[in-house]
Amino acid sequence: MTPAIETVTLSRSFGGVHAVDGASLRVPPGQRRAIIGPNGAGKTTLFNCLTGVLRPTTGRILLFGDDVTRMPEYRRARLGVGRTYQISNVFLGLTVLENVVLAIHGTRPRKWMIHRAVDRLSDTHAQALGELERVGLVHRRAVVVRALSYGERRQLELALAMASRPRVLLLDEPTAGLAPAERQRVSELIATIPRAVTVILIEHDMSVVMGLADEVTVLHRGKVILDGPPEAIQGNAQVREVYLGRR
Amino acid sequence: MRCSAWALAALVALMLPTVLDTFWTSLLIQILVFGLFALSADLLIGHVGLLPMGHAAFFAVGAYATAILEVRHGQGFALSVAGGLVAATLLALVFGLAVRTGDVYFILLTLALGNVVWGAAMRWTSFTGGENGVSNVPPPVIAGFRFERLDDYYYLVLATIVACAVGYRMLVRSPFGLTLRGIRESESRMRALGYRVEAHKLAAFMLSGALAGLAGILYIYWNRFVSPAAAGFLVSAEAVLMVILGGSGTVLGPFLGAAVIIVIRSYGSAYFVAWWMTAMGLVFIATVLWAPHGLLGVAERFRRGRRMEIAGGRLASEETRP
Repeated sequence: MTPAIETVTLSRSFGGVHAVDGASLRVPPGQRRAIIGPNGAGKTTLFNCLTGVLRPTTGRILLFGDDVTRMPEYRRARLGVGRTYQISNVFLGLTVLENVVLAIHGTRPRKWMIHRAVDRLSDTHAQALGELERVGLVHRRAVVVRALSYGERRQLELALAMASRPRVLLLDEPTAGLAPAERQRVSELIATIPRAVTVILIEHDMSVVMGLADEVTVLHRGKVILDGPPEAIQGNAQVREVYLGRR
Repeated sequence: MRCSAWALAALVALMLPTVLDTFWTSLLIQILVFGLFALSADLLIGHVGLLPMGHAAFFAVGAYATAILEVRHGQGFALSVAGGLVAATLLALVFGLAVRTGDVYFILLTLALGNVVWGAAMRWTSFTGGENGVSNVPPPVIAGFRFERLDDYYYLVLATIVACAVGYRMLVRSPFGLTLRGIRESESRMRALGYRVEAHKLAAFMLSGALAGLAGILYIYWNRFVSPAAAGFLVSAEAVLMVILGGSGTVLGPFLGAAVIIVIRSYGSAYFVAWWMTAMGLVFIATVLWAPHGLLGVAERFRRGRRMEIAGGRLASEETRP
């Protein structure tokens, strides 16, 4: 089967630093793939290459078999690449509902509509409420995002990514900085994402990884050093070495 | 309540020229014209989050193009106005393609481009008339009616402004308007959601330029004369000041700011011509320090004073919910 995402010897360097260094991975459709690795392993750079924020120095990126290596970010989004950010990137000055409406319109021509008021578009409104219902923020819809708690912003982050109806969803440390209860909640939310969506997540919390991932990729110094089911990764000596820093 | 307030405002606006002398009617026209100009700048300031410091370029190009078509080519009202609008919009397209930056670079580049237009108005004498400008612009003629009297022209301006304000309000409340505010809040997130940010910014820039051009056209038919001063930095800076003073991100704010500044200028310049710039600077500092949301923001604070407390209580109780 054609992989949802495939990278072929992907590299990205900043000056002399090889943040991603010849990484090849294949993620089949519907899979939950976790990417782990110590700080500076190149995880976020890899995400930025996959979404189109950064152009790879060398190598190729295939989305459902199509070469998207040089495609700009907004076009990849329209082809179904969704993402969340390690540090919440939401529209702070707008209301929760407006945030989700922007996410819904992003992949549609309606974003250019000028002759009708946003709040009169009943279908968009209904869909936005549905997305908020799913993450449990529906009662906060009229609140300006700046007034939301950190945990709520993480939930909204997820709602934005889901509202654009992605085929491939990239989650960059979705539970970072959350209290254990909130962590559990976000983890459950991710588990409810339909299997039609391929999910790739960067995560440090091994209990989250164990609960969600079908397969784990270990990244170290920009290279894929191991690929396998979570149980195999957990007991692996090499992985422990990478994390504990003995070499 | 709201409806009757608007009806009253409409009645007052229609009655005003009959009770005012020409000095005040003239002032009213200026307020409406420069209010529209400030409103055009506020599409960028209050929605896209960009600060244009050379917006007089579009105002002046609209005015010059219309004046030249009328005076030198003897064209009628419709064609001259269309020419002015096209010229201002095309200039906005060219500038918009050049200005693909944000923040301080946007401010500096628009400042520089504004000066380019001013320089052209000043030095390209064969086309713009240089320092003498273009004079003797005839009054507008629509369907055989000459808007010769000031009162008649006031109604033409009022109708145009009302149409623009209604259209503008529709635009900022539409999905397109929300898109602009999304760009203001986070460009990177907009890209990740599938927005081609540059295209939306360019569209907003062109719309803003066209509106500024329209203000310039309304200006030329009132003033009957345009000189390089219309393209000057002061005109650009005043538009920004009007927006900040009145309340950015609103429809009424820019007009309110225009009213305050134009009235003060008309009265003040008689007494302190030399100090006019200083007075403007002080007004600007006072606004930024004590009324960052402008006069409308102050009014809102007074009006909402009690309601905010109640709303705050409701939010707090929501917070405690499990």
